[in-house]
Amino acid sequence: MDDHLTPAEERDALAAELALGLLEGQARADALRLSLSDPAFAALVLAWEAKLAPLHGEWADAQPGAGVWSGIERQLADAPADKVTAIETRLRRWRAGALLSGAVAAALAFVLITQPGPTPTPAAPQLAVARIESDAAGPLVLARYNHSNGLMQLRIHGFEPGTLAPELWVIPEGGPPVSLGQIGHAGEAEMTMPPPHRLLMTEGATLAITMEPVSKTPHPAPSSVAVASGKIITI
Amino acid sequence: MGRAGGWAAFLGHDAGVRRLNIPVTSLRLDGVDGTQWSSGADEARAQLTAALTAVGRGDRAALRRVYDMTAAKLFGICLRICGERASAEDVLQTVYIKVWERAGQFDAARASPITWLATIARNGAIDWRRSVAGRTVRDTLPEQAAFAVADDSPLADQSLVAAEEGERLHHCLDELEERSRASIRAAFFDGSTYAELAERENVPLGTMKSWIRRGLLRLKDCLGDG
Repeated sequence: MDDHLTPAEERDALAAELALGLLEGQARADALRLSLSDPAFAALVLAWEAKLAPLHGEWADAQPGAGVWSGIERQLADAPADKVTAIETRLRRWRAGALLSGAVAAALAFVLITQPGPTPTPAAPQLAVARIESDAAGPLVLARYNHSNGLMQLRIHGFEPGTLAPELWVIPEGGPPVSLGQIGHAGEAEMTMPPPHRLLMTEGATLAITMEPVSKTPHPAPSSVAVASGKIITI
Repeated sequence: MGRAGGWAAFLGHDAGVRRLNIPVTSLRLDGVDGTQWSSGADEARAQLTAALTAVGRGDRAALRRVYDMTAAKLFGICLRICGERASAEDVLQTVYIKVWERAGQFDAARASPITWLATIARNGAIDWRRSVAGRTVRDTLPEQAAFAVADDSPLADQSLVAAEEGERLHHCLDELEERSRASIRAAFFDGSTYAELAERENVPLGTMKSWIRRGLLRLKDCLGDG
């Protein structure tokens, strides 16, 4: 009964087995480890979950006891207060530092020189968005910037917590990167952009992220290559 | 412009010049109004998407709304796989804590909200079954207790699950040999392992593996890669 599977089929079958939950013991541990270390394999597992998803329509409902919700509330109360607020507070501190950053002045000078005079477009774009990523499995940050009030919102996924922190940069076309400060490893964050930075949030500029030593103020320049980047699109 | 070349190098590979060609909807950070479902889409699904998106922003009241809309379904999953209420309720709690922590990763453009939630619940219940605690508890359960829970009456509301996808999967499952189909369904709904299924069907482990693996690969061919 030993079917001959190609290595690719073997791997796909293993992904399906993990998605279905057929494995136990060492085999399960090995497959779970593989899904953590190998993004391509993890994608196969997710694909199998998606293939089988219509079966979720067949579960019979059952009413849980009232104690379940109170248990959830209790656990949430014990959780660290508010991760978003914490990130926001940190961003505000960095923002204060960023105002003094020489790189901002350099970048602004560049923008002003290359785009002489204000160009008042009749219908200025209100919204700028960017998807900051490297590849499908790497970290991903979604950014949304509202020109009318200067609010920048981020949704952050997939950075490994460690000694280095992700730092967000805006790079005008052809200009030097300007730090917008460090962001969290995951979750959401928002900040009101200081006026000098707002001018940099234009179509075609790039948002990028590098991993930098933890710092309370934005770094004047990145110390390593970007781990993720994406162009700004205005809407 | 020598300097510009330097910055391009800083960006690495092609990231600096790549144009985004993803749909604007997938860039939405706050699809709270559920407008992407407006054309004939299901109201319940839109409401759940909105609530889940709000949970992703840290809105605890929204978590309660998600709970009210989905607890019966997710508890049905936990109960079926865990086999007894007390453990299923413990698992259900951890499921909603996971939902709270991960809701920021929910992407309405990629998955339906109920599928996303049901997958977390099913995986949570299977994790429990494979844990030492789960195995210990289940050893004390009367034989077949799990199957006594809601077996062949799929009365769960289908409204949150896209009907067309379901038809395609069921068509492809129907194309499989009976023993492959039955084993795959048992694995999905009971959270059974290869060893449990082999024992239940009274066949060698290798035989059960072969039935299921062959069935899964045929299923994939039938569904296509799309």
